Amino acid sequence: MVGPNGAGKSTIMKAILGLFNYPSGKITIDGQPVSQTSHQALEKVGALIEYPGIYPFLSGLQHLELFSNDGVSKQQVMEIVDKMKMGSYIKRKAKTYSLGMKQKLGIALALVNHPEFVILDEPMNGLDPQANKDLRTIIMDLAKQGTTFLISSHILSELEKLIDDLVVIDKGQIVYRGDMATLESDSTRSMVLQTSDNDKAKDILTQNGYQLIDSDEGHISIVEDEKTKMADIIKLLSTNDIEIEDVKHVHSDLETSLLNLLQNDKVKEG
Amino acid sequence: MVTLVKQELFKLVHKKSTWITSVLMLVIMTIYAFIARNNANTFDPKAIYIGLFTGMTWVVFFMIAASSSIISMEFQYGTIKELLYRKYYRGEILVSKWITMFLYSVYFMLLAFVYALILKVTVLNSNFQLSENYGYKHSILTTTIYTSLAQFVSLWLILSLVLLLANLFKSSAAAISVGIIGYFAISIISSLLAIVIKKWTWLKWNPLNMMNYPNQVASPSLKHITLLSTNELLIGSLVYMAIFLGISYVVFKRRSV
Repeated sequence: MVGPNGAGKSTIMKAILGLFNYPSGKITIDGQPVSQTSHQALEKVGALIEYPGIYPFLSGLQHLELFSNDGVSKQQVMEIVDKMKMGSYIKRKAKTYSLGMKQKLGIALALVNHPEFVILDEPMNGLDPQANKDLRTIIMDLAKQGTTFLISSHILSELEKLIDDLVVIDKGQIVYRGDMATLESDSTRSMVLQTSDNDKAKDILTQNGYQLIDSDEGHISIVEDEKTKMADIIKLLSTNDIEIEDVKHVHSDLETSLLNLLQNDKVKEG
Repeated sequence: MVTLVKQELFKLVHKKSTWITSVLMLVIMTIYAFIARNNANTFDPKAIYIGLFTGMTWVVFFMIAASSSIISMEFQYGTIKELLYRKYYRGEILVSKWITMFLYSVYFMLLAFVYALILKVTVLNSNFQLSENYGYKHSILTTTIYTSLAQFVSLWLILSLVLLLANLFKSSAAAISVGIIGYFAISIISSLLAIVIKKWTWLKWNPLNMMNYPNQVASPSLKHITLLSTNELLIGSLVYMAIFLGISYVVFKRRSV
């Protein structure tokens, strides 16, 4: 789940967890309704919302003991500690933890009861690159075993490596829902040329049926499709005595697609 | 529910303040026992023993602090979300906290009572006998038990208010202040209260008047001032307790976090 600040990501997550009083609509998990007063469906759900809630007077291990269900053995708790690489400080009081350590503990708390559905709000907050990678591995492993994850994040490059489906929300509305590949392929691929005579080149290319993207920045952008061949373009320009100085392929990534999407959303509103 | 109470107790026993306050209370009680023995002419050792060597007052203080923090700390530490999103009903979470506080208050009362007995037979052994008559027809020991039980009722009247305020304001500071002021208010404004009650009789049902219950158990003549019988005070206290806890329950169930 992606969206700008204040779009309503945490609010949606809180509503799913029965923390929030929603005026209309219906939320079900696995067919069971969830509301403030009906929590039975949350038995198999783990979550970390906003920032991790930590008791300063308990150690990390005591937190995990406190929140683990009766069926979870000490060994299983330690497995999570090892996976998150928290062993060196898990017995220390949580008030001595750094931001990243607290974040890891929060994630461990979300996973400790082996939930089938895990909700993580900005899970990469405060994590160092190594911890980030570890978390990714844990999430991928659990997902392979059948755990469903709902993750919100601003770090799109991280999300790209993790997700199957994407929901983009803005001002409480869904503006995109689908897989990542579709969002990316929606965006145009283009070839950017730098020539000795851009104006002349533009005319020639248009006359020969190439579609150009308007730009005054001293280069030419050609919309690429399956038929566009670089060899043809080079041939066409060199026969007209235009030198090609530089060629680049530009493929917009998730970030660009997303920013375009949100931009369009604003335009529509205006 | 048993699991939830166990979890609350787990948090309670791992808090340092839980043990520091217990030790502090015992130390202060010991000091008072020695003061009572060495100044038997100025202080009445019997009266001091019946007041559990001021232990009861400390139980009230520490319980007010503990009750306000057991709810407000969850908001302060952000743990309220972790607490609430689980499979348990919200009401169960709140009630588990009440039960934990009840157990804690029983622990404190027993600790104060038993330690007062120990101080009596060690430090103050020769000063008086527990079987002596004290005041109205009862022995000193029986009087102490009755007074302590009555104070326990009063304690819970205050605690139910503290639990409500901590829940409303999500902050322990407000709840602690009101709790402590409420506890002392009765001795400060009792004379004023007596005048007001005499003028508008229906005001005898106000919660502050209910705080007179332990005093009236100790000296029944107080009924001419409270204008209520001892049993009416007891029932009144219980009704107010139920009202305060009831509002807490409704507020907690509806809150969005």
